[in-house]
Amino acid sequence: MNSEHKMPSIWKILVLLLTMSFLMVASVSAQDVAVGQATATVQTPLTVTAIAALAFGTIFQGVPVSVAETDASAGIFTMTGQAGSGISLFLQLPEYMSTASGDDRMIISFSTTDCAIDTTANADPTTFGSGWTAQNPFNLPSGVIIGTASTQTSLFLGGQVLPSVDQTAGAYSADIILTVAYNGT
Amino acid sequence: MKKYSLVLFFCLIFLSAHLSAQNVTVNNNLTFGTVFPGIPKTISKTTAGLAAEFYVSGTAGNEVTIDFALPTYMNLGASNMQLIFRETDCAIDTSATPDQSSPEFNNLDPWHTLTYRIGSNGLYIWLGGIIVPGLTQTEGSYSSNIVITVTYTGN
Repeated sequence: MNSEHKMPSIWKILVLLLTMSFLMVASVSAQDVAVGQATATVQTPLTVTAIAALAFGTIFQGVPVSVAETDASAGIFTMTGQAGSGISLFLQLPEYMSTASGDDRMIISFSTTDCAIDTTANADPTTFGSGWTAQNPFNLPSGVIIGTASTQTSLFLGGQVLPSVDQTAGAYSADIILTVAYNGT
Repeated sequence: MKKYSLVLFFCLIFLSAHLSAQNVTVNNNLTFGTVFPGIPKTISKTTAGLAAEFYVSGTAGNEVTIDFALPTYMNLGASNMQLIFRETDCAIDTSATPDQSSPEFNNLDPWHTLTYRIGSNGLYIWLGGIIVPGLTQTEGSYSSNIVITVTYTGN
């Protein structure tokens, strides 16, 4: 009599366990999701500024004038960015200076030693700090970095103008373009 | 009574066998490290410690499908940086001795569902990618989520 009463209870337990097992199978084997991440740290963008023009001042017809890269009249560019990061530099140099009206031109030339690169905070060509002196502006050195102490590097540029004997009087100018890019080093 | 105990026993065995279904974990994030504005950077799926690594555990022989939800940008506040996953940027190894440098299944497309069987040592998934910082990319730390979904097919 007692065993007959127990039977239905055992069946209930079995049905319950079977249901649970199927439910768990369904839930456990369905799917799993994980979330990973992609991470990166971007360094400081580069900034290039033309601080001072390469200034030959007043010149005379037929008299060449040179400005050294260590002269106060040298052209000055400053570059700021991530301290210690490698940069590549390229100068686009003019062959002539022109009057504003374009009716006359004057030869400008650059020697293979007319450039200096200073990786200290100094932006004064007359008080060179540390870096590269007497460099070829047409082939700037590799291995240049943004200064570690100041996050700045400066480029100083000298040159020479060769006015002709019948050079038209007036102001002459030309663009000097410095392109700087990180090279990943 | 013995008969019912036996049924109960098999139920528990059945239950425990299926409790060991697949589980996916993140072993390593996709880490680009320091990058420069204007200079793209590639992380290969075979580069240990930098490529993303996911591990799928479960019963050997079970077939699973693997789906990624991949970001197209990394973010830093309102700044975005392009993130590219090519159709060969994923690799999988289900062998007993997984080798990231020479994975069993290489050059897989993470943009499509991948179907493989879990091996005796689980299933390893590696993922590489490329970021393309702009010339004036805002400096700072960028991140984005890579969501992986692993589903047991029942096969």
